[in-house]
Amino acid sequence: MKRRWKFCFLAFVWVGVISFGTLSFAEKGPSILNKVGKAAGAAIKAVKTEGHPEVSEQEKLTPCFECHKEATPDIEKEWYNSGHGIANVKCYQCHGTFENMKKVPSDDNCYVCHANAKNHTKPGKTCWACHPAHNFPVKKK
Amino acid sequence: MGLSRREFLKRTAALTAASYVGLELPFTLHKEASAADVDKWVRGSCRLCGVGCRLDLGVKNGRGVALRGVPESRTNLGYLCMKGMLFYKVMGHPERLTKPLYREKKDQPFKEISWDEALDIAAKKFAGAVTAYGNDSVAYYGSGQALTEETYIFQKVMRGGLKTNNVEGNPRLCMASAVGGYLTSFGADEPIGSYADIEKAHCFFIIGSNMAEAHPVIFRRLMRRKLDNPDKVKVINVDPRVSPTSRIADMHMQFKPGTDLAILNAMAYVIINEKLYDEKFINDYAVFRMGKEKKQVDFAAYKKFLEDYTPEKAAAICGGNITPEKIRTAAHWFAKSPATMSLWTMGINQRKRGVWANNLIHNLHILTGQLLKPGADSFSLTGQPNACGGVREGGGLCHILPGHRLVKIEKLRNQVEEAWGIPKGRIPPKPGYHTVAMFEAINAGKIKAIWINCTSPAQSLPNADKYRKGMSREDCFIVVTDIFPTKTTELANLVLPTAFHFEKTGVYGCTERRSQLTPKAIDPPKGAKPEVWIVREWALRLAKELNDPVIKQCVAPFIGKEEGYELPKAIWDEYSQKLTKNRDNDLRGATYEVLKSMPDGVQWPAPTEAFAKTGGTVKKFVRGIDPLADKEAKDDKPYQFYGPAHKDRKLWIWLRPYKGPAEAPDAEYPFYLSTGRIIDHWHTTSMTGRIPELMRANPYAYVEVNPADAKRLGIKPGDMVEVESRRGKNVLPAKVYEGPIEGMVFVYWHDMHEDRMINRVTKDAYDPGSKEPEFKICACRIKRVSGPKPLKPYIVT
Ligand code: SF4
Repeated sequence: MKRRWKFCFLAFVWVGVISFGTLSFAEKGPSILNKVGKAAGAAIKAVKTEGHPEVSEQEKLTPCFECHKEATPDIEKEWYNSGHGIANVKCYQCHGTFENMKKVPSDDNCYVCHANAKNHTKPGKTCWACHPAHNFPVKKK
Repeated sequence: MGLSRREFLKRTAALTAASYVGLELPFTLHKEASAADVDKWVRGSCRLCGVGCRLDLGVKNGRGVALRGVPESRTNLGYLCMKGMLFYKVMGHPERLTKPLYREKKDQPFKEISWDEALDIAAKKFAGAVTAYGNDSVAYYGSGQALTEETYIFQKVMRGGLKTNNVEGNPRLCMASAVGGYLTSFGADEPIGSYADIEKAHCFFIIGSNMAEAHPVIFRRLMRRKLDNPDKVKVINVDPRVSPTSRIADMHMQFKPGTDLAILNAMAYVIINEKLYDEKFINDYAVFRMGKEKKQVDFAAYKKFLEDYTPEKAAAICGGNITPEKIRTAAHWFAKSPATMSLWTMGINQRKRGVWANNLIHNLHILTGQLLKPGADSFSLTGQPNACGGVREGGGLCHILPGHRLVKIEKLRNQVEEAWGIPKGRIPPKPGYHTVAMFEAINAGKIKAIWINCTSPAQSLPNADKYRKGMSREDCFIVVTDIFPTKTTELANLVLPTAFHFEKTGVYGCTERRSQLTPKAIDPPKGAKPEVWIVREWALRLAKELNDPVIKQCVAPFIGKEEGYELPKAIWDEYSQKLTKNRDNDLRGATYEVLKSMPDGVQWPAPTEAFAKTGGTVKKFVRGIDPLADKEAKDDKPYQFYGPAHKDRKLWIWLRPYKGPAEAPDAEYPFYLSTGRIIDHWHTTSMTGRIPELMRANPYAYVEVNPADAKRLGIKPGDMVEVESRRGKNVLPAKVYEGPIEGMVFVYWHDMHEDRMINRVTKDAYDPGSKEPEFKICACRIKRVSGPKPLKPYIVT
């Protein structure tokens, strides 16, 4: 069997291929706590193409964030410092795995944990129109 | 704050994709319906951990197709972790067992047989063993994942029918030390408080628990409390390994594995010597005790005992980053916060001195009065969804009967015999084999037939090879009831396919004394049967084989009942109404009807339906909150400790010395080995390994090596490393990571592959009190064997 070592190559390719939109808050907060709930980010541009760039079966056994640390560092950072990141809510819980992957998940994924949020979602709006991915800030009441 | 992102990444970054090179996955993918696209939602509980999250199963065309959290539930407030989101994929999985499988000898291939044949064989083998070798030649080994109705009926048939207390289960491997701790410190098993304390606590003392991975949704509640109150709430994390839990910590105390008893005594020293204790609380409610004889001593004797544990002396014992200053700070935070909540799990329980470690945590709470008030509790986290409800309360261990009754007390045995309508003296007075002793008895040829239900000891026992050898003996007939093939079905003679969660009805009791019903929502795959049906039919055959009407009497109330709902309901009614009546876990109010009407079940004690409908008892022992505290009150004090184990109705502060692990590192085996759970997988991966998202997230176990050790031994990320103890070895990919303290390695225990099954390496020493094995610490040596290798995820099919 052929061993493949494409990590760096992949990272390079993915930076080019995956366009999650520009994120404006790449700064590092002094601590995780200060960042959560404060950062506001640009809305994510919906991406037409569903799915993931082709990778081998071997590479599919890599936790998403391992590659995305390099491929989409800003997104990975936002996630990591968010409530989701601290609570270990992982990429695949919203985006699925390779065969059922959605670059832009449906709101239904949010409602698995945030069912009550349905009550205040404005018609025609997505959850992340108000709570930008991937840190999903929430206004304190 | 504990670790900044930069620090944390730096620590983890050493892991590269190289350690994940792999081949085909052992599963195929299926198209699922979207969550919105369902016919109905059916409310139940999560199948997969001790948190007890409440969820709805989405059903479409008779199949489970989605899961979502229940926001009104007081356990999870609507949140689920990835396992709770995805376990519907287990239902209808093509590899589900659907036919009874049998082989006379363990080296033969299995052949499919009918249920009639299977039940006949099971009855003949057990009856034959009893006749030829006596009642204690048969055994039941169950699970903290079995429904309460299942554990209850199994143990009823074993004790009342087959006259043996050889009833054990995997909660011995995770909870027994917590049981011992609660009984000896507070006089009653299970936590006093609830998850609801989390939102009222100002200091969290997390010790021996990576709850971020092992109890994700409870961790989320702590995280939220901390994030919303970054300055008001302090988090202390005490663990030889920096884990994802450490991310919310203000202070991480890292020490040589096994030395935490010294830290706990040193904190008590500071509390006493700096007068941080609550004198009135101690005078009103506590006594000091020591030794096997439980001798009562005075405050001065306790103070003197603690002189061996000055912060300076303890810091010298503990090593790592433990300084006298850290110990003092922790003691101050703990004692002075408006409300302190301790949380722990296997790092404390799976220890040679697990009960003592539990006692020492309870001591801190009793000394400071950080107990019984809102937000303050000494709270043991349970690992499995029904270890508390089914096994601790339902009589699933060799020394306990249903309703927290001890086997050895005749009056209590008689109460059970009377409730069951069987002759007095039918239940033998001697407790059966505890888990390690039970599998040792198999090794010694003393057990001729064992029924293993819903668990995989071939993978989950410590020093597993030793016990697998015994389990492969031809003179021990093994029945396994499960939904998938496992490492244990590989050693069975008879494999019986069972219904999964939501394919049958029953109750789970989670960590916080809360019982929750999961009703049947879909049919099991054709051929798979609920355990309660299996046990009933088996018992009827046993009665014939042994010509013993008492065995039939054990299942007589259940004959003819429909298996999906009526049968478990009748079993629950008998258990809750007759066996928990006037016990501290009084569940008489928690009928199926009431449980169905609640978004999140009922916390015991709940003696009446009217009280159960309020949700039950949020805090035990508090008058005005706990109905038993009012009923059992002996004076005017607000707290009443009516638990069955302390006749003096006091909390006991224990003088427990520091003791190290059973096997400390030495020149030959210089490293500590510890093991634990990973968030994406449940136990032995027979379920989660078949869910593609979960398997891909963590396809292999790896060994975590501290960078300083890795550098010394020339180990690079992804290298294959041999981890060897006196018992066995593994070869795993390395993750070089400042997680474990220098001199310690850590391995997740879910992997089924022979090379990466870490329980082949762990040690089976156990706590002399609780009989719980010391999974968490043994000595090993490590060496690099090669660079990264392609690996294949593996599950038994
Ligand atoms: S935290 Fe435990 S109970 Fe809750 S969803 Fe996850 S596995 Fe299930």
